[in-house]
Amino acid sequence: MEKDGRPIWDSPIQFVLACVSYAVGLGNVWRFPYLCQLHGGGGFLIPYLIMLLLEGLPLFYMELAIGQKMRLGSIGAWTSISPYLGGLGLASVVTSVYLCLYYNVINAWSFWYLFHSFQSVLPWAVCPINSNRTGPTEECEVATPTQYFFYRETLNISSSIEENGGIHTGQALCLVLAWAITYLFIVRGVKSTGKVVYFTATFPYLVLFIYLIRGVTLHGAINGLKYMFTPKMAELANPRAWINAATQIFFSLGLGFGSLIAFASYNQHNNNFQNQAIVVSLINSGTSIFASIVTFAIYGFKATLNYENCLDRMRLLLLNTFDLAEDAISMDSVLEWTEKLNTTYPEQFAKIADKVREGECNLEKELDTAVEGTGLAFIVYSEAIKNMPLPQLWSVLYFFMLLLLGMGSMLGNVTAIITPLRDFKIMSRMSNELFSGLVCVFCLLLGLGFTTTSGNYWFTIFNDYAATFSLLFIVLIEVIAVSYIYGIKRFEKDIEDMLGHRPNWYWKIMWAVTSPLLLIGLFIFYIINYIQGGTPTYQAWNKELGESAVTEYPVFGQVFIVLLLVSSVSCVPLTALYAFCRKRKDRAYENRPSAVSTVSV
Amino acid sequence: MLEKILLLLSLSLSVAEGLCKPGVGEAYKVRFSIKTALGDQAYPWNKNEMFLFRAALAFAMRDFTNGEEFGVSDIHPCNETQRVSFWFVVTRPNTMDLVDKGTVEMAIKKSRNRINGAFLLTDKTLEFDGIYPTLAAPVSPDTPPWLIVFGVVMGAVSVGIIALLVYPLVQRKLKKNMDADDEDSDEETGVKTAENGANDGIYNSTFSDDERFTQM
Repeated sequence: MEKDGRPIWDSPIQFVLACVSYAVGLGNVWRFPYLCQLHGGGGFLIPYLIMLLLEGLPLFYMELAIGQKMRLGSIGAWTSISPYLGGLGLASVVTSVYLCLYYNVINAWSFWYLFHSFQSVLPWAVCPINSNRTGPTEECEVATPTQYFFYRETLNISSSIEENGGIHTGQALCLVLAWAITYLFIVRGVKSTGKVVYFTATFPYLVLFIYLIRGVTLHGAINGLKYMFTPKMAELANPRAWINAATQIFFSLGLGFGSLIAFASYNQHNNNFQNQAIVVSLINSGTSIFASIVTFAIYGFKATLNYENCLDRMRLLLLNTFDLAEDAISMDSVLEWTEKLNTTYPEQFAKIADKVREGECNLEKELDTAVEGTGLAFIVYSEAIKNMPLPQLWSVLYFFMLLLLGMGSMLGNVTAIITPLRDFKIMSRMSNELFSGLVCVFCLLLGLGFTTTSGNYWFTIFNDYAATFSLLFIVLIEVIAVSYIYGIKRFEKDIEDMLGHRPNWYWKIMWAVTSPLLLIGLFIFYIINYIQGGTPTYQAWNKELGESAVTEYPVFGQVFIVLLLVSSVSCVPLTALYAFCRKRKDRAYENRPSAVSTVSV
Repeated sequence: MLEKILLLLSLSLSVAEGLCKPGVGEAYKVRFSIKTALGDQAYPWNKNEMFLFRAALAFAMRDFTNGEEFGVSDIHPCNETQRVSFWFVVTRPNTMDLVDKGTVEMAIKKSRNRINGAFLLTDKTLEFDGIYPTLAAPVSPDTPPWLIVFGVVMGAVSVGIIALLVYPLVQRKLKKNMDADDEDSDEETGVKTAENGANDGIYNSTFSDDERFTQM
């Protein structure tokens, strides 16, 4: 314990590992590879690394500095910087609450898949049989078995956000388990979190490494890797690439939630957070790149497999229609035989011409199907895994890794809520364990809403809107507050006090000029995008067609989106107003007894 | 006499060949994918295999109709191709009447496994065009396996939480007992030392330095 009774990390390593565990999350695995693929493969690394230098590193450093200096959670820390800015901390807490609500649902899904991997045949590898025992169930036939398992058996999804049903008991149980484990990790505060992060920060790398070896040795992996690493430099001219790079760095580092401030507030006063900030940011970006190599190896495997299956189907079709001997056509010669048969037997060929055109096999097209988010993690990856030899082992490893990444991030999310609230004197009367327990139970009960049949659509609302716009706003105000309201000079002195030397000109320029400008740019872009985009839409699962269809949100959905945004953003002006009114009241109270007012405002 | 029999046989053969017309009436198409199923160990398709097929089908018909004495000569194949696919019709024993498609289908469905086994093939590699295999009933265990794994993990986590919550209480109790013993021994000597259990006091934050806050 430090002299003011605040718990501290057992060692600086624990702090670094906690930050790594928090920053390295699911986004590194399922968002970065998607962006890489979207924006020309290897070439995307250029805007990504530039944005890391311009925006990611300075903001990360700044949040750690604030936390370590103020030794309070986000609300207390910002109130110390300026009493009008307490709302920033409150907005961070509100956004963290939203994040906690929906993030643990992903962990619940990971648990569900993990538990279902302990079967001789993976349940998403084959379709269940219909009641007549003549074939697979209809829905599974039009979609793929992996999609069926995700949408029907895992989510039991309804056909739109308006239709609701009951809670999926399996999901609910997994969510309870996810929250129980979260509670187990944070129940003793920094003492328990500090021990857990040794595992949650390091084990995912072991699994990624194992997957790297497995991935590159798969048949066809080289196609995926070639696809990723051939840079398409033309994409760099597209402004979207730069904007996506900036947003990705920003969200990947977990800025603005208050978790970094909370973690840093448990540091010793003289902890060298400058080097730690650089190390964690580099580890985070490095992990993203590492994870995309693995993902692209797996993409390549899956695409090659699909391509070869397609060729095989074509081959069978030709063999059966023209009654040729089985070994007449081999996989390589399918295409030339198609040509040959087309010219020699035109009328017979015309009968199957439609089927041939539909089932056209194209490796590029298979590789082009860029997927991100839960679709990548739970559908594409599980499809690739089911085709590997010994799929149960790979499945268990993969979902365990997803769980560690997710739980590691949850540690930061929940700490971001508990630390600032515990700084209030009223809360500190309650015991640590009870308070953490209440927070977990509260989030669990609200999170049960995501396990209903339309839960996934609400999940998407939260995923897309709860933490995107508000975070940009929060961090923008943060950097402006530190640079101009608190003042760079004061901030420099505080850092010198902690580290023993002032930050050099790079940091100061980034804080004062570059990062605010970049953030304002991103902010404006988001607003323009939102206005131009028209009614927000989502992907609704159509069970007859076995695919997702773009649907518009109903009115209550749109109202809810606006509420989500407004509830966190409005904390800032409202708290400033409240502080202003209170100050006026206090000053009015001070001024009353003296007859002659000489106090200047 | 011999010539008459020969004439009858050839006549029946030619009539039978007339019976088996691909795609029409009661004919079924069969497709063998021997090389796909057996790879290197594939056997070549020849007249003997064809005989086996006719015998297997005759068995299927006998089994289904419960005794009607179908023979190899009642199965009439035609239009054999290199793919190893051909059409066939079934006639009633000792007559030229075609057995209808429905009966043939049900007979094949009943003895599908036996026919597959005779050729070392499966439902996918020995296809009857239009007859869908009845899939095996899914095995559903009493407790779904995922629930078992869930139970184990949930149990472990609950034990962990209870242990973490109970441990400090137990420690405090033990310490109190130890201090109570010390107190007894101290009281005898009459010297009042440090208050029991107050060695690691509760920090009262009301008296801490609040002046860190920015002056307005």
